[in-house]
Amino acid sequence: MDRGSDRIVSCIVTNLLSKSYDNVIAVDGIDLDVKSGQVFGFLGPNGAGKSTTIKLLTTLVQPTSGSVTILGINAIKHPLKVRNRIGVVLQQPSYEPTLTVEKSLEKYGMMWNVDRKQRKDKVEELIESFDLQEIRKKKNEDLSIGQRRRVQVAREFMHEMELLFLDEPTIGLDPSARRKLLDFLKNKVKTGLTIFYTTHVLTEAEYLCDKIAIINKGKIIAVDSPDELKNRFGNEKTIKIHMAGIQQNLLKLLSGIQDCKIDFNSGTNITINSNKSELVLMQVLQLLNKNNIIIEDLSAMPTNLEEIFIKAVNDSNASSS
Amino acid sequence: MHPVLRLVNRNITISINPGFLIWQIIFPLIYIFVAGFAYTSLIDDVPFENTKLDYPTYLATGMIGFNIMNSTLISGIIIWNDRRHGMFEQIMAGPFTRTDYILSNICTIGIVGMLSAAIIAFVGYPIFFDSIEFSAFTLPILIFASIFGSILFGSIASIISTRLRSSEGFNVIINTVFLFFAFVSTAFYPVSGTPEPLATAFYINPLTYLVDIIRAGFFGTFSNFIITEMFVLIILAVGLFSIATRLLTRLDF
Ligand SMILES: Nc1ncnc2c1ncn2[C@@H]1O[C@H](COP(=O)(O)OP(=O)(O)OP(=O)(O)O)[C@@H](O)[C@H]1O
Ligand SMILES: [Mg+2]
Repeated sequence: MDRGSDRIVSCIVTNLLSKSYDNVIAVDGIDLDVKSGQVFGFLGPNGAGKSTTIKLLTTLVQPTSGSVTILGINAIKHPLKVRNRIGVVLQQPSYEPTLTVEKSLEKYGMMWNVDRKQRKDKVEELIESFDLQEIRKKKNEDLSIGQRRRVQVAREFMHEMELLFLDEPTIGLDPSARRKLLDFLKNKVKTGLTIFYTTHVLTEAEYLCDKIAIINKGKIIAVDSPDELKNRFGNEKTIKIHMAGIQQNLLKLLSGIQDCKIDFNSGTNITINSNKSELVLMQVLQLLNKNNIIIEDLSAMPTNLEEIFIKAVNDSNASSS
Repeated sequence: MHPVLRLVNRNITISINPGFLIWQIIFPLIYIFVAGFAYTSLIDDVPFENTKLDYPTYLATGMIGFNIMNSTLISGIIIWNDRRHGMFEQIMAGPFTRTDYILSNICTIGIVGMLSAAIIAFVGYPIFFDSIEFSAFTLPILIFASIFGSILFGSIASIISTRLRSSEGFNVIINTVFLFFAFVSTAFYPVSGTPEPLATAFYINPLTYLVDIIRAGFFGTFSNFIITEMFVLIILAVGLFSIATRLLTRLDF
């Protein structure tokens, strides 16, 4: 690999990367290309292989087959070189139970060979950014789960790095801590950091990520920018109609309408999912009008990433079974 | 700073706490003074190689070996805690190799073992002052014993900690093993006068070798047998260390 002569534009490149455990294929031949300076979102249902991918990319586990290049370095041949230049916040909590928050930040900086003066400044800066003032003298074992997670994420910023892996960093964080972290990350990206980010919170991915990959059963089923994904999967819209009274014969009335999926939950609500939502809505409204059914409320929801996610995963499950 | 030294720094910071200090220093001292003098009325001079030692002297020197063994418990505890609290994985995702991690544990044990041996020797000094035969070998022998004793028992503690996931299991096993080592050894009483199956058992116990070597350093009682014991200690330490390294390398995340 020719490093140094030209700027590295791809931070992460994998080729048919796979990892099997006994009889489970956790990661199944994925190809990634993550450009530097972006936040790359990695989404997928439980057990899809997200954490395993992060462990492969950070050299914690060896792949069964395939190649991994991180920051231009062959990660299978030179794992330590890679680890020296990246940061990782794993999904699993990690902490030194008997140390105080500030001491554990300081010691983590020491472990990364950050010099003493810089360590002190960093600790103060992070205590500020992550709102840790009140708990700075508390021992890690006495913290709440969300506080501990905040310390864990803050700790990783004690050292410099070019590429950061975050495996569901916001689990357990309250909404304001969550937003604060996302904004902190956005600022870091502006200074040149590249982030590989897994989450289940799709609004978060939408807010933060420049590019999103969706993984299911170890395979990547979609990679694109959030907007492109919406265009691709998202021409289906959801419309909700709430009616004044219970309508017994609604199902029969609406059964003639094509190209849509209609759900009645309680008899007073209709949920319509359709690609041609405008057309379907017109027909439904006409029918309701003709039968003198009064509409109390009507709402159309814009497509969001969550629906795209569910649709993409369902499609992929359907095509694989 | 070298990665191993950075990890040693961290290990020492997390393991030094009041409970550990009491266990490591206060307990052996109380034992030397209380038991040493209480048993003097029951136990005559103890024959050792070609000299005779009074019991407090014999016990104080034995306690140094016992203490080196005990300090290796911290290696097991560090590994075990690191796995339980996710730090093992986090460290392995950082600028360290597994060899760095194991070496740092052994160094931590070495430092703690040597320090606590030094404290015992210092406080016990008035007791065995009379019998000590300082020679050019005394200090090198003590350092040799601290290093290889630490590696040997540290490896045993590490091996046990890689095999067990629960803290109860870890505590029970490690305490049983170390209790066996402590009492079936020459740390507390000499092999002479011990009934036969036990006397042989003393010599399948590495603590006996360690303690014999330490006493030889203090009392200048070198013999071919002590030299053999030194070789056995080296071989056991190296063998167990390589097993511990291999097990730790195989640990999956
Ligand atoms: N050490 C292991 N041994 C055996 N199987 C494993 C191991 N680690 C992961 N797996 C399996 O690999 C698959 C992917 O797991 P992984 O942890 O990567 O999922 P994930 O996408 O991170 O899920 P989640 O959203 O729940 O965190 C799962 O089926 C899991 O059971
Ligand atoms: Mg996961």
